Order: sequence, then C-alpha cells, then structure tokens
Amino acid sequence: MSNKKKTTAPTTETPSVSEKIYDFCSKKTMILVIAVCVILALVAGIIIRGVNLAIEFKGGTMLTYSYTGDLDLNKIESETKNIVGVPVTARAGESLDSDGWQVTLSFTSEEGLTADRQFELTESLNAVFPENQLELFDSSDVSPSSGREFLLKCLLAMVIAAILIIIYIAIRFKKIGGWSAGICSIFALCHDLVTALAASILFGFEFNANIVAVILTILGYSINNTIVIYDRIRENRGLYPKASLNELINMGCSQSLRRSIRTSVTTIGTMIIVSIVVFISGYNSLLSFSVPLIFGLISGTYSSLFVAPVTWSWWKGKDSKKD
Amino acid sequence: MKKIRKSTFFIVVAFIALFTVSAVLGFDYYYGDKATTVVKGVDDIRLGLDIKGGVDVTFAPADDYDATDEQLEAAAQKIKTRLGTLGINDNEIYSDNKSDRIIVRFPWQAGESEYDAGEAVKELGEMAELTFRKGTDYDTDEEDNIIPKGDIVINGDDVDKADYMQQPDSNGDLEWVVTLALNAEGAKKFGEATSELAGTNTPISIWMDNTMISYPTVNSAITDGNAVITGNFTSESAKELADQINSGALPFKMVTTSFKTISSTMGKGSLDAILLAAYIALALIAVYMVVLYRLPGFVAVIALIGQIAGTLAAITGWFGFMPGSTLTIPGIAGIILSIGMGVDANIITSERIKEEIRSGKSLDSSIRVAYKRAFSAILDGNITNVIIAIILMGAFGVPTSFFSQILNKTVFFMFGATTEGVVYSFGFTLLVGVICNFIFGVFAARLMVTSLSKFKAFQNRKLYGGDVK
Repeated sequence: MSNKKKTTAPTTETPSVSEKIYDFCSKKTMILVIAVCVILALVAGIIIRGVNLAIEFKGGTMLTYSYTGDLDLNKIESETKNIVGVPVTARAGESLDSDGWQVTLSFTSEEGLTADRQFELTESLNAVFPENQLELFDSSDVSPSSGREFLLKCLLAMVIAAILIIIYIAIRFKKIGGWSAGICSIFALCHDLVTALAASILFGFEFNANIVAVILTILGYSINNTIVIYDRIRENRGLYPKASLNELINMGCSQSLRRSIRTSVTTIGTMIIVSIVVFISGYNSLLSFSVPLIFGLISGTYSSLFVAPVTWSWWKGKDSKKD
Repeated sequence: MKKIRKSTFFIVVAFIALFTVSAVLGFDYYYGDKATTVVKGVDDIRLGLDIKGGVDVTFAPADDYDATDEQLEAAAQKIKTRLGTLGINDNEIYSDNKSDRIIVRFPWQAGESEYDAGEAVKELGEMAELTFRKGTDYDTDEEDNIIPKGDIVINGDDVDKADYMQQPDSNGDLEWVVTLALNAEGAKKFGEATSELAGTNTPISIWMDNTMISYPTVNSAITDGNAVITGNFTSESAKELADQINSGALPFKMVTTSFKTISSTMGKGSLDAILLAAYIALALIAVYMVVLYRLPGFVAVIALIGQIAGTLAAITGWFGFMPGSTLTIPGIAGIILSIGMGVDANIITSERIKEEIRSGKSLDSSIRVAYKRAFSAILDGNITNVIIAIILMGAFGVPTSFFSQILNKTVFFMFGATTEGVVYSFGFTLLVGVICNFIFGVFAARLMVTSLSKFKAFQNRKLYGGDVK
C-alpha cells in the first residue's frame, strides 16, 4: 500500500510536476501591515457608523393597522421609513378573531412612539394609501426578544469555538508548530468577520438574525480554508524535512492556489446568483444575508492564502531570531 | 477496504438515488381521504417565519393580573423554551412591559394552509402548573370546576429534570411513566412528606392545574429525590407531560387576546426565488465540476446530490430517531456552508488525482494515494466545523437537548438557558451536512471513482485530468 513517497522527493527539487511556486512570503511585512490596517480601519468604521441592531435585539415599536384592498408592503415599508427614519418591516396578515386584514409595521425605537408621532404617521400613510383605509388597530412597545444576553452568549460561544479550534489545530498540526498556526488562523478569521460586518453596515443593513447567520458561516468557511492550506504545509514538511518554513509555506500556498480559487468560484458564485435572483424578484431583505456573505467569502479566500500563513511565518521568524 | 468491483458503482448510485427520491418525495398512503405519512418528504418541512410566515398570537395575563417586568420576561422565556421543546425552533417572542402582554409568532405547521386558532395555542402546550399534594381532597366552585386543596408537597419548581420511560406495573406489564429528578430542596420536601405518609392510606395526588393525573399511595419514604408519575400514559402523553414539566410552569395564567396570520419577513413567494437561485447555482456547479474534473467531477455531482438529500432528510425528520427541524434562512446558510465544504472536498481530491497522475503514477495508485492524502485536509476542516456546530447547538438548543445539557451547566453556566432557534438551526444543518459530507463526498465518491476506473472505457487518463498531449 505505502508507496515510496519519501525517496522520490529530494529536498532541493520543487515538488510535483509543472506547478509554479509563488513567493508568498516575500511581501511578509507588507501583507501583515495591510491586514492590520484593514482590520483597524474596518473596526474604526464599524464603531463610527455604529451597528444598527434590529428590533429583535433592541426592542422597538409595533404598530398594527387594519386595512382593506391590496397593500404594497414594499411601498409602505419605504414610506414609513421616511417618516420614522429607521428601517421598517411590514408584515401583513388576516385577523382571525376580528376578521379583516391587518398590517404590522415594526421598527426599532428608543422610547416608543409618542401619540403625536403616531398620529402624524397615520395621517401621512393615509395620504399615500387613500384606497386602503388604514386604521390604527393596536400599538405595542416591545422589549427585545433576544437581547444583550443573546449577543453576549453568541460572542462567548464564538470565543469558546475559537479556543477549541486553536487546541484542535495545535494537536493535529503539532509537527509544524501547532499553537502559533492555530492562533494565526483565528487572526485571519477576525479579518474575515470584520470585513463581512463592515460590508453589512456599509450597505445600511440592520444587524439581524441574517447577519448572525453570515458571521457563523464565515466562521466555518474561513477556518476550513485555512486548514486546507495548513494541511498541505504539514504534508510538505514530511516530504521535504530540510526545507525552511518559508519554502514550505510558499509551496503549500502555491499548490493550494488552484483549489482555493476553484472552491471560491463555486461559493461566491452561488451567493452572487442568490443576490441577483432575490434582487430581481424584489425580495430585498435576503440581500442583508447574501451581500455581506459575498464580502466575507472573498476575504476568507484571500486571508487563508495570505494573512494566515504569512502571519504565521512572521511569528515563527521572530521566534527563531530569539533562539 | 474490501476489493471494489465494477458493480460497486451501480450499487452506490442506486442507493443514493433511492435515498434521494424517498427523502424528497416522502411516502404517503391514503386510507379513504386520510393521508398517512410514512416517510416525510420535502413537503413536510416546516418552513420558518422568515420564509413562509405563520401565526401571531398575543397573550396577556388572565383576570387583569398585574405582572411585573421580570415575571413577563420569565413567561416569555418559558414560552420560548416550550416552542423549542415542540421542535418549533424558529419563533419571535416580544414582551410589551407597558401593556403587559406577550406577542408570540411561530411558523405554520408543515403543509398547513387553513388556520385553526385553537391548534396554535394547543401547540404551545397547556399553560399548566404541576403540583404534588397530600391526599386527594378538592373543592368544587360555583361552576363545578374542581379545585385541589391538599397541602402542596412539591411543584414544578422543585423538579430538576423530567423524563419518560417504560417500567413494569404491578401486574408485570410494561407501562409508560414520567420520572422526575428533584432538586435538593424538592428532594428534602418530598422525603419529609413521603416518610410522613408512608404506610398510611393517604395517597399523594399529582395535578396539572386542576386535573388529577394519578394518586399513588406511598409505600416507603423516598429520600433520593426520584419520583415517578404513573397514570395510563401512552409514549406520546408521557413525553408531552415530561416536556411540559421540563419547560416549567408559567408564573401566572395567561389568555390569548388576539390571533392573526402574519406574512413572512421576506414577502410572499420568496421561497420560489430562493429555490430558483438554488437550482441555477446547482446546475452551474454541476457543469463546472464536470468541465473541470471530468470523471471525478461527474462523481462529485452524484455525491453532492446525496449530500443535499441527506441534509433535507434530517430536516424533514426522515431519520426516525431524530426529530425534524424548522428550515429558516440561517438554516439554509448552514446547508450552503456544508455544500460548499462538500464541493471543496471533491475539488481537493480531484486536484490530487490529477497531480498524482501527472507525476507519472498508474491510474490505480493515483486514485488510491489521492484519496488518502486528501483525506487529512478534509477531515481537519470538517472536524473544526463539527466543533462549531456542537457549540452552537449546545449554547442555543432547548435545555433538554443533548448538547445543551452538557454545555449549559459548564461553559455557559453564567447564562440562563436561552433557546435561540435561528442559531440552533444553523448548527443543526451544518452538523448534519458535515456528516453527510463524510458519507457521500468522501466515502461514496471514493467507491464510485475507484469502481468506475475498473472499466476499460474509463481508463483513459485524460478523464482524470492527466496531461493532454
């Protein structure tokens, strides 16, 4: 079963056939500086623009109107948004205890909506939708359904997942110095998460359950991407025991380059198709999922090839200087 | 591994085809007008609020009871847990402290189009309180309602965990019972009461609200904190009672004040748009894989279909041992991620096969070595995703679920048991998807490629990406 893998590979020779080896590590400092700058700039941007938590995380106001005829939900969303100044979700439904149709407008608010403002909103909506005979049926100021505790628990869950991943990588990649590799993969992950979050804020999306899903997806995708490259480095270490770490990284990244690009084409392509289809058919709320995900996936591909291995090479380089 | 023959390919393909068809279509039979679902198909998937919409119910405390903010919050949490226990992971629950009410939204049951208001509340479980009382005495009020009056020994708050199981009754026949593990305080109270009543004719009666479930006599003092409820249970009613006790009683009685349907967050018909996008994406991925990798690419497409069918089957509840789940956008995100990793696994191996062939190895050993070498990358990548999925399912699953029981008391001890359906359903689909990835993307794909390579017609190295000269 076992073939002669060790004898076929002299240390100086480039690995298999015609694959070109690119020098990923030569621009070490530049890549590192860029990565750190990108993260800092995006974090600063996120802090300055602020995260707009959606109603389920922040609480807000729900106004229920009864109406007649056909109501354009997209239109009433944008009309209400103009008046209250924050994104609005409109959802229609048939009342089952008092008959007739109702539409519920929900949006975040600090202190609820004063009676005056409510009246003003009702007036202006009736001016825009004279045919629908909108009548205020009910109003609620609601607490967040998943508040601060949920977000904190999410954060803790991610931190614990990150720690376990570092431990897992440390054990499985012991041969090539696992701890530092694990920590560098989490650094690359942060790069991707910040990119996705910043993209969502830049496009004006609210922080809702869709963004939580994006963050979790990036978490899995980014780690997987980085590990595939680490795996190649680990394998090369066995094949070429005398090669330096930089050579191993260059080799591993070059060999994985084609696979990285081809996999990314399918994942990013899928999300582009989703974005186009939902945009054309008018279900814009799904864009708050697909668009940030595209940015996260692009960043994930880049960071697994550049940020993680290069940061790791820099770390190891520093270590060896100390010795 | 046993020798792979030419016929292996057909066996694997037939298996995947059979599995896919049954998972997608399900199997119903009709007896008169009544359809009985034997195997659940995609039509039986419960779609989330964000995709399909559902029911909006407003609850308020009964009898103008003035609930404190904390009580309202606690009630909202419990309703949430109950929904989770019922397998309705996707829900929105808002409490309005100013006007004392709780707005609960949850998705339609699968296949439901007509709305039955009573069913909706029934699905939430009865908002009943469990009590164990001394004796079986009760009063009747003006309206002939039964009001229990024996001294309360323990109530739902004293129960740590309820479960249901079969045990032999006095005649030696198996019967369903609900077992209770009491907390320290409950065990103490229960121990005192049972030692007092042991050997007397006074039974301990067990009530859900004003209904007596059973009234066992006490043979001996029970001090170990384990109690058993008997009383003509079926496996379903025993499970239901155990679930209700686990989710706890509400701090006050609630009534519904309004019922309505509610459209999905994304708008009507959004499911068609998502499906359209999925079909286009899958078709393009299939073409892409076949063009890039030829034979291994073709096999990858078959494996991918199996993987998707496997994930869908887990969501519908096709596997009897595992309850189904609600499909939401985050759940779809989990599927997308696992499919992405499935494609990735196939790309990694196909690239490897190509590399090995170009390095001059024979076809046989190229395939063998490629699968062997690609496996470590696939294994490590997928295991890290299993770690993520398990953490998420533990942190945000219902308190009685397997992973939550392990994690909630250890790593997440400072948090209450928050059930968050959206995150849980992401973890669920990701975990299932990754497992399917190993079964189909790695194991089945390897069998298929190896088996096909035994055919003379498929021994052309170009079919595997060998050098085109």
